[in-house]
Amino acid sequence: MSVYLDYAAATPLDTDILAVMQPYFTDVFYNPSSPYAPAIQVRREYEAAKAKLAQVIGAQGGEITMTAGATESINLAFGAGRGHVVTTIIEHQSVLAAAKLHEYTLVGVDKYGRVNPDDIKKSVRDDTWLVSVGLANNEIGTVQPLSKIAEVLKQIRSERVAVGNKTPIYLHTDASQGAGQLDLHTTRFGVDMMTLNAAKAYGPKQVGLLYASRAVKLTPQIVGGGQEAGLRSGTENVAGVMGMSAAFVKADGKRHGEVKRLGKLRDDLQKRLSDEFPQAVFSGHPKYRLSGHLHVSFPGVDAERLVFGLEARGVYVATGSACAANKGTRSHVLTAIGLDDKTADGSLRLSLGRGTDEQAIDQAFEAIKLEVHREIDRVAKR
Amino acid sequence: MTKVYVGMSGGVDSSLTAALLVEQGYDVTGVYMKNWTQDMPGLRCPWADDLADAKRVAVHLGIDFEVFDFENEYKHKVVDYMIAEYRAGRTPNPDIMCNQEVKFKLFLEAALEHGADMIATGHYASTQDGKLLQAADANKDQTYFLYRVRGEALSKTLFPLGGYTKPQVRQMAEERGLTTAAKPDSQGICFVGQIGIRDFLSQYVEQVPGDIIDKQTGKKVGHHDGAIFYTLGQRHGLDVGGGLPYYVVGKDMDKNEVYVSRDLGDDSLWKHDIELHSIHWINDAPGDGEYDIRVRHRAPLVCAKLVGDTLHLDEPQRAVAAGQSIVIYSGQECLGGGIVA
Repeated sequence: MSVYLDYAAATPLDTDILAVMQPYFTDVFYNPSSPYAPAIQVRREYEAAKAKLAQVIGAQGGEITMTAGATESINLAFGAGRGHVVTTIIEHQSVLAAAKLHEYTLVGVDKYGRVNPDDIKKSVRDDTWLVSVGLANNEIGTVQPLSKIAEVLKQIRSERVAVGNKTPIYLHTDASQGAGQLDLHTTRFGVDMMTLNAAKAYGPKQVGLLYASRAVKLTPQIVGGGQEAGLRSGTENVAGVMGMSAAFVKADGKRHGEVKRLGKLRDDLQKRLSDEFPQAVFSGHPKYRLSGHLHVSFPGVDAERLVFGLEARGVYVATGSACAANKGTRSHVLTAIGLDDKTADGSLRLSLGRGTDEQAIDQAFEAIKLEVHREIDRVAKR
Repeated sequence: MTKVYVGMSGGVDSSLTAALLVEQGYDVTGVYMKNWTQDMPGLRCPWADDLADAKRVAVHLGIDFEVFDFENEYKHKVVDYMIAEYRAGRTPNPDIMCNQEVKFKLFLEAALEHGADMIATGHYASTQDGKLLQAADANKDQTYFLYRVRGEALSKTLFPLGGYTKPQVRQMAEERGLTTAAKPDSQGICFVGQIGIRDFLSQYVEQVPGDIIDKQTGKKVGHHDGAIFYTLGQRHGLDVGGGLPYYVVGKDMDKNEVYVSRDLGDDSLWKHDIELHSIHWINDAPGDGEYDIRVRHRAPLVCAKLVGDTLHLDEPQRAVAAGQSIVIYSGQECLGGGIVA
């Protein structure tokens, strides 16, 4: 039996969710903009699904725009204004690339990958209109103090009012990695915009949303028939949105239990690895970290070789970051938290999910143990 | 223990090459040569997948693995050469240039510098005391691509696949659990992957439409997107419909005209005498005399008499284009060859 430990890259579509989606491909395939009764029924169900999604994140129905995934949502968020933007040095490429379309400042992080809200404050200029901080990092799993950052922005807003600076300032968060693991209530975070992705929550790929509070005026990036209140044209992906909605409702319901369960499995794996390999380095914040996330580095070992060796034993894991690995470049996140090259190059990202149980952790540990020893021995023999 | 650096492309041939050398007791290091990484419009360059395939096999075999970056040199020595030749109206062979300049020069030098005693590749050919010999599988023999390699390089080279056929190689790879055992052979030019030479060239040279002219009648019978895309003897791709097929019998790069004929016996399609330039001998020059020659990869060997730089053929050969390589053999041994003037 194979063991999949890369839930941060992709989650399988939950079969219950597939069942929810299925009729919308075949039986009730209607265009929700059509005028006859069955189509109008589809429209109702589509809007109800969006309303449920809004509920999960503590938003109003009108504040949600459906997109074809997180990258598009991020592009929509960054397209909402012009001027200076502030984001962090450890964001996902989709955020960094969107930031680079503007004048931008990247804020650094501490050795755990946490942003200091004061650093955000220092980076904000008079013309800064957007601050974007990912809720949880996709590589090391560190969770950011988003409410505190929202506090900082609130302060800046009042200061702007006092001096008559009319530039609005928004807080966007890419919360893709947080689905099913973190509380996603926008109201509690105080964010103005939030990106979410169904594909990380046992829903379909290429379905996402952007929450934008009423204060934010979005500019459509895709124009046409005026769907999604004119913010995102194109016939609605009804099946996809029904799937995302059901997936988020289910993930939210299972959240407390899963967080506890995965945290225990993860901590167990971390302990066994650190007992076996005292030299192993674990990255990410010890406390403020996604419970299913384990980032481990074996200094001097080539992580890519480990991935192939583990693959041959039926254990599927990622090196530091899937994107970085494909390009043969070092992870910008690991550089940002100060890992030296030798350590960074020996990094595995293990991300646990619903299919992970004790047996899977046992199998993964045994395989990692064998492969890391095999690599250490090979290097030593040279 | 002899230290061998194996060029591993991520294909089945070089994968098995590495496996066989490990079994034969060599101290083996796999090397992926990073020569080309650019995507073409609508076509992703598969280099990262190939690198991963090569590395996966190296891990399976428990051997060291390195990446040698020859991207700049490859662009200059192979790609630029190829584009310049096509621009000049000739038909170059980039694989031959790649072997001459990259695999059996840069790679060899770098490997020796890293402490290797020898290099190895998955070519279907054999070596013996610095001599190049044809492979047992006449259907796969790749000596045509190797004629510009130096004897000193070959004396430091191993070709473990020279005695096997392709189906045997696939089977042996499967028996050894190599993950590349069933990977399809790469098609077309090595670095361009699935894209055709025409699509590749059109990224680098402007397409200037011109006339296709019937050589016999002197009449215009169609038009083309650029004379450089046409090769002597070519039958397909002429947008001139109806009747017997046309063949390219010549072109004028200055006028950007392509000449065609329906006459398969047209003089310019057949060569009795071939003048060569840039003649290269793998070892000592063998001198004038009777040899077997091959005018293109997998073409049958034919008899020819070499006098100076000219080959006199017993039987005329069809569609021998300027820029193409003619490779010269004596029995099983590949002696060298030259480029059609």
